[in-house]
Amino acid sequence: MLAVSPDANERSQQLADRLRVGYRFLSDPDLAVTRRLGLVHIGGGQGGKDVPRPATVVIDRQGIVRWAAYADNFQLRPDPLEVRRAIRAL
Amino acid sequence: MSPRALALLALLLGLGTVAAFVALLSIFTIPLGPTWYLGALALSVVLALAAVWQARQWLTVSALTVSVLLLAAAGFFNFVMARVPATRPLFTVGQPAPDFTLPDAAGRTVSLSDYRGKKPVIVVFYRGYW
Repeated sequence: MLAVSPDANERSQQLADRLRVGYRFLSDPDLAVTRRLGLVHIGGGQGGKDVPRPATVVIDRQGIVRWAAYADNFQLRPDPLEVRRAIRAL
Repeated sequence: MSPRALALLALLLGLGTVAAFVALLSIFTIPLGPTWYLGALALSVVLALAAVWQARQWLTVSALTVSVLLLAAAGFFNFVMARVPATRPLFTVGQPAPDFTLPDAAGRTVSLSDYRGKKPVIVVFYRGYW
């Protein structure tokens, strides 16, 4: 599980390691990668800053995209059960 | 129920919802989604309407005004401010994922292609705490 955000993430990683969940937090402070991937919400943050468009992508062992969800409201996230189903289907 | 009690209940529900929303913000970045707070605020409007229906007093009318304003503000937040415009993500279901490389929290470089042939990957893009 890779979690990408503009944050520095040290604290998130410490928490994830302590909880022994297999998250790896990746930092994209200037959103260069996020922008290239077409996942920036332009002016969506505080003070009109660009922020990531919330997205969840499931990729199989061969590197093929098998499932993807992109937020159209930043309060909503995909149902974890739906993500689990997508992973089980691999 | 008396119009006064209905009006007070409507005010309590409306202001309580806002207080709960703000309190939950310090725990979750996204407090539980919009359905519950829109529902609670709509219910407070219904209660206030019932109160005004029974008796048009300053208390019932103020309760209606406050609850309508709160519902309007919450609706504006959910349907206008929280909307994320469509983008064109490079990830397409059934197609190879575009590779990317980013540093992790320890400064080590991680590429999506590191996992190819080894593990399936869930990639989550999130807004962070800015």
